[in-house]
Amino acid sequence: MDFVLQQLFTGLSIGSILLLVALGLWIVYGTMGVINLAHGEFVMLGAYTAWVLQSVFQVGLFASLVVIFFVVAFLGWIMERGVIRYLYRRPLDTILATWGLGVITQQVVRLLAGGELRYVEMPSLLAHSTTILGVELSVYRIFIFVVVAGLLALTWYLMQRTAIGMKLRAVLQDREVASCFGINADRIYALTFAYGAGLAGLAGALVSPLKSVSPEMGTTYVVDAFMVVVLGGVETLMGTVLSAFLLGELTGFIAYLQNDTVAKALVLVAIIVLIRFRPQGLFASQVRA
Amino acid sequence: MSASTTHNPGHRRTWLQIAIYGAVCLTIFLVPTILDNDFLLNKYSRYLVFGILAIALSLSWGYCGILNLGQAASFGLGCYCMAMALKLRTVPVHTGDDGLPDFMVWNNVTELPWFWVPFHSLPFALFAGIAVPTVLAALVGWFMFRARITGVYVAIITLASLVVVNLLIIDQQRYTGGFNGITDLAQLELFGLTFDAYSRNSYYLVASVLAACLFAALAITKSKTGLILQAIRDHEDRVRYFGYDVAHYKIFAFSASAAIAGIAGMLYTIVMEFASPTFLDVPLSLSVVIWCAVGGRQSLLGAALGAIVVTGTQGALSDSGIFLQSWTLLMGMIFVASVLFLPKGLAGLAELAGERLRRLGRDTPPPVKTDVLGPVREGEGLA
Repeated sequence: MDFVLQQLFTGLSIGSILLLVALGLWIVYGTMGVINLAHGEFVMLGAYTAWVLQSVFQVGLFASLVVIFFVVAFLGWIMERGVIRYLYRRPLDTILATWGLGVITQQVVRLLAGGELRYVEMPSLLAHSTTILGVELSVYRIFIFVVVAGLLALTWYLMQRTAIGMKLRAVLQDREVASCFGINADRIYALTFAYGAGLAGLAGALVSPLKSVSPEMGTTYVVDAFMVVVLGGVETLMGTVLSAFLLGELTGFIAYLQNDTVAKALVLVAIIVLIRFRPQGLFASQVRA
Repeated sequence: MSASTTHNPGHRRTWLQIAIYGAVCLTIFLVPTILDNDFLLNKYSRYLVFGILAIALSLSWGYCGILNLGQAASFGLGCYCMAMALKLRTVPVHTGDDGLPDFMVWNNVTELPWFWVPFHSLPFALFAGIAVPTVLAALVGWFMFRARITGVYVAIITLASLVVVNLLIIDQQRYTGGFNGITDLAQLELFGLTFDAYSRNSYYLVASVLAACLFAALAITKSKTGLILQAIRDHEDRVRYFGYDVAHYKIFAFSASAAIAGIAGMLYTIVMEFASPTFLDVPLSLSVVIWCAVGGRQSLLGAALGAIVVTGTQGALSDSGIFLQSWTLLMGMIFVASVLFLPKGLAGLAELAGERLRRLGRDTPPPVKTDVLGPVREGEGLA
């Protein structure tokens, strides 16, 4: 029983980090159709902002989260205004352009901060473990889980209960008609992209105490997060949530049976097969015309 | 006959193209006559290998619209096939009875695995270096294109396949050498010639293969099949309405491109003298896309030159860290700019310049429509 719980919690922990990174990607891909390969770089920028705030300004991780969100969101906003807005009708080219932007971002960071690994300290309040149902768990991982749940609720609220969310949904349904009603679609897209980038930045800041911070760290995250979004389908937020935890549990389980590498490879194969047979995602409802 | 070829503008274009391609190949062949430095020749051979890899991507992406982000998988499999053959040709020092590769001994493998055995034969290895990537690509292509998977999803599936192959090679350390790859290889001996990585022989080998691939790919694009491939790129559904089996043609383009990439991979092992999982990792695969985009994906020669120039500059600057960093930064910017404004890359610019020059000579009015900037205008309506 302990073992099952242990596995379950490991999967939940992997899943919550996946979801954290995938949430911003889902918003940008799911609502705007932009495949943002620079998403991993936003994660990296968030981690570096955390590092700068900690090592230069001696600000703890908790206090810097809000700052990090706005810094990275601002960078995302610049990227959208500067490049991505020209590519909304060329989805294949957005892959290339955003990847190019990713390369540029990585190089700028490497030139400014150096290529060596950096470390961000975990808040001392959370740097211990606790026992739940007889299973030993890191408090920091539980904290991440809670934050993800909070961000999820916030995103849902923004999309469904605020004026800006309603405008976004209107633009998604019909951009031209929405524009006729006086909605500034350009502004909505820019804000959405910035929000997605900000979420990625938060993800980077939150994972930075668990892993080392390097200019290349984003690449691994973007591939995984992308698979989550593809698996979940772009239609619903719930699909992304389910697929993140499904992938988390699956990876944790196969990793127990085989090893991490085989687990990743098998999950990827499963996703390839899924795209072939259900390109709309595992959890998509019936597609409306 | 000759009169008709000169009067038909299409044929004239083709002859001009062949002349330019030939001139570039000749220049590449002449490099060793003025350059007597084996170290530099080795470097240049590496860039030429990347040129071949770019030709492969140009064939599938530029001519058939298949954005293959997993090109490095074909390349890497070619690398490993060659490396396995050359590894078995080394003189084993403290290894098992039948010349077991050293890393297998370290991993407590007692007997040569079955899939290594045929690599004792060099012709088999040369065949496998082309056949393995081709068959794999044909399978993935069949899997994707029969289901009419297009665009973005092709990019995702090919990228994911690449990661799977890469992970498996790293994971099966007992049989593939894992992270370290396959090192300490023998030199290739073929037709009585020895291909030392630091020698003219290897350079000429790579240059000849580059020329052969360039002209073979050109022949494909000029054939009827090539025209259908381009039609599929421009309007897939319309080609389907005409009764062509689109999937069939796409699988062909995808596998032909993999075959060329496999050949490039084999050459890369000869030039580098080892095979490593970094030869089939995601960054390399995406770099190929950059080379093609900068050089011009819709021009085989443009793509090849793009690869040679980009990697060449990278190599020249690699002694100085800060310059290399700045160059990569600049490359990223040029890449983004070329995606935004120059979908045909530098080759498109050259073509445009040639067109202008010719019209100037003939004193005719300039063209009304230049499609080099076409797709961008379409997007600007949104801004």
